[in-house]
Amino acid sequence: MNTNVETFKYDNRIVRAFAIATIVWGIVGMAAGLLAAVQLFFPEANLNLQFITFGRIRPLHTNAVIFAFVGNGMFTGIYYSLQRLCKARMFSDFLSAFNFWGWQLIIVAAALTLPLGYTTSKEYAELEWPIDIAITIVWVAFSVNLFGTILKRREKHMYVAIWFYIATAVTVAVLHIVNSMEMPWGWMKSYSMYAGVQDALVQWWYGHNAVAFFLTTPYLGLMYYFLPKAANRPVFSYRLSIIHFWGLIFIYIWAGPHHLLYTSLPDWAQSLGMVFSIMLIAPSWGGMLNGLLTLRGAWDKVRQDPMLKFMVVAVTAYGMATLEGPALSIKSVNSLSHYTDWTIAHVHTGALGWNGFLTFSMLYWLFPQLYRTKLWSIKLANYHFWISLLGMMFYIVPIYVAGVTEGLMWKQFTKDGFLQYPNFLETIVHVVPMFRLRAIGGTLYLLGMVLMAYNLYRTAKSGKFEPETEAQAALLPRGRETGVGFHRLLEGKPLFFTVLSIVAILIGGIVEVIPMYLIKSNIPTIANVKPYTPLEVLGRDLYIREGCLGCHSQMIRPFRSETARYGDYSKAGESVYDHPFLWGSERKGPDLAREGGKYPDAWHFNHMDDPRSTSPGSIMPRYSWLLTQALDTNSLPARLKALRKVGVPYPDGFENGPAQQDLSAQAARVVQDLKLGAVTAAPDREIIALVAYLQRLGTDINLAPAATPVAVK
Amino acid sequence: MFHNIISNIDGVELYGIISICIFFAFFTGMLVWAGRLKKNHLKAMADLPLDDGSRPGQSPEKTQS
Repeated sequence: MNTNVETFKYDNRIVRAFAIATIVWGIVGMAAGLLAAVQLFFPEANLNLQFITFGRIRPLHTNAVIFAFVGNGMFTGIYYSLQRLCKARMFSDFLSAFNFWGWQLIIVAAALTLPLGYTTSKEYAELEWPIDIAITIVWVAFSVNLFGTILKRREKHMYVAIWFYIATAVTVAVLHIVNSMEMPWGWMKSYSMYAGVQDALVQWWYGHNAVAFFLTTPYLGLMYYFLPKAANRPVFSYRLSIIHFWGLIFIYIWAGPHHLLYTSLPDWAQSLGMVFSIMLIAPSWGGMLNGLLTLRGAWDKVRQDPMLKFMVVAVTAYGMATLEGPALSIKSVNSLSHYTDWTIAHVHTGALGWNGFLTFSMLYWLFPQLYRTKLWSIKLANYHFWISLLGMMFYIVPIYVAGVTEGLMWKQFTKDGFLQYPNFLETIVHVVPMFRLRAIGGTLYLLGMVLMAYNLYRTAKSGKFEPETEAQAALLPRGRETGVGFHRLLEGKPLFFTVLSIVAILIGGIVEVIPMYLIKSNIPTIANVKPYTPLEVLGRDLYIREGCLGCHSQMIRPFRSETARYGDYSKAGESVYDHPFLWGSERKGPDLAREGGKYPDAWHFNHMDDPRSTSPGSIMPRYSWLLTQALDTNSLPARLKALRKVGVPYPDGFENGPAQQDLSAQAARVVQDLKLGAVTAAPDREIIALVAYLQRLGTDINLAPAATPVAVK
Repeated sequence: MFHNIISNIDGVELYGIISICIFFAFFTGMLVWAGRLKKNHLKAMADLPLDDGSRPGQSPEKTQS
């Protein structure tokens, strides 16, 4: 009998705070998604307000769902389970509160700045540099709290859920810092340090692993904790959970390049990304089966307990998404699926099914615990389950149909060898009915979320909140143990374990990243590709502000169907001055990599004013504010200086005078061109810069006699 | 074009081979290690979430039916 038994208290306040934030931000994030979805078949739903137009609302939706809904959900689960698995209160109540309020402030900052158009344009990393710094600080606070709690634990061994939490903390820190390297030119604006191919590789190394280490590993930790709790039985195979963990974190990091198949990324990196993506099936399915088999002999409970129902669907959705992901990484499948809505369907299997349902399951279980009562209405929870499941189906199935239809129509040739649907608009108009169905699905899912909020509110009302739960455990013996094996060392020494996890994720990271740095000096520069003119720089920044890349790619893949539609395929050397790269990942409109010179300036002017005046049936929103808003030329010197610092060869002193003259002269030329199309415009409006930028896109290469690799010895 | 970029990196063909070797070494080692873990230890580990140290009668989990 150990006499060193200590009595201590678990902090439930922090768990409740994060749980409430999860619900509130979940509703906000999903509502933003619904608004974006409606605009895809009813563009006027933006009420002609720039702040809630698709290009700005889409990043708000993705950020809110990922970092606000899932982020708060993750903290809820970690703060509850970590204390209990470590048999210790959190390391510091101050850090817990700092983590909570810091995270909520970051979310509020995102909700304000993204609609205002402050965005880096890098997907899921859109927030600008001051917010990036805030994220780093809050994440460090969370990590210190996490490791501090682990170090003062009273339980000798670290359960597998804690391993997943550790991997999350260290990897997200690495990803965030590397991808957020940017050169500020204003208090809320910056340019990415990387350009073109390099920027794309870093971005998708980040984007892919943000899915892995923000949406997957922490939630797997939650699954390994809350599923045994709810089913009141240990996990099916602890051995399998060990293999799941190491297999997953080791392989995941290698697979990033599967987001860039058939782009200007080196073929070698593409193949590596594909192979490792397929290998990911093994650990992922090991984990899924481990979760489902935990319920062996307890399936009768699943029928009665809505919490387990949600959990079963969550784990199944995890299995579906992790089978589909590798399938989409196969180059031949990807050639069809990339840029289509198929990808959107895939991520929503993960977001709605895996993250959403697991969060619901956890919250239904947690609230009665925190308020020492029973769930207010099991019936309402069951309604929520069926409504959400139906909503998910109505969301995902039409979007699959839309995605495959788009892919097939884009690639369809007539028997005479011409594109069957040469007008891109035809293909998108064809799937608009699917967009309508998707919005119904989204509405149902959101409705379910509101039902849960009400049910949990009533649950809280019916009970009494327990701010702290008293617990007892023996102190860990200090000093060296005898006869410890490797496994004991691993589970007993968190720092050693953390170092090993970092090594595991860095091996894949380094193998991906080293060639990227070597590429920099070896990229075949094309003599005629020149930096953007000052007016085009301003236009490009407007393109970024409006989120144009949410619907328009700038990357023509080397397929006949693409070169026939858009022109010559994109070369790596064409985006060497693109800070950030704007290849995009989705086409709701045509690719713009070679847009320059396709239409007269006046066409672009009219099209931005009202897309349906030039393209009947178009689903693009109106951008009439570009016609009236004055162009910000005051910040031009700061922008050019920042670009020079990241490597764009503007001559010294160019920004003091010559740049302004160049800008005025080019703006005057655009105004002249517009007159030819019977359009009168002032030279100092935003539309002038945007038209100049669009007319430049992809034109340099046509002037070039030949591509000359500079670095050839 | 891919070859233009990548062929200028010395010894690039080794990258793929090294990657696969690291992967197999890591995986084999991990599987052997996981396979050799003792049953009773694994059971104790799997039971960890079910005991959170709350005092009997104190645990809210136990107040629920």
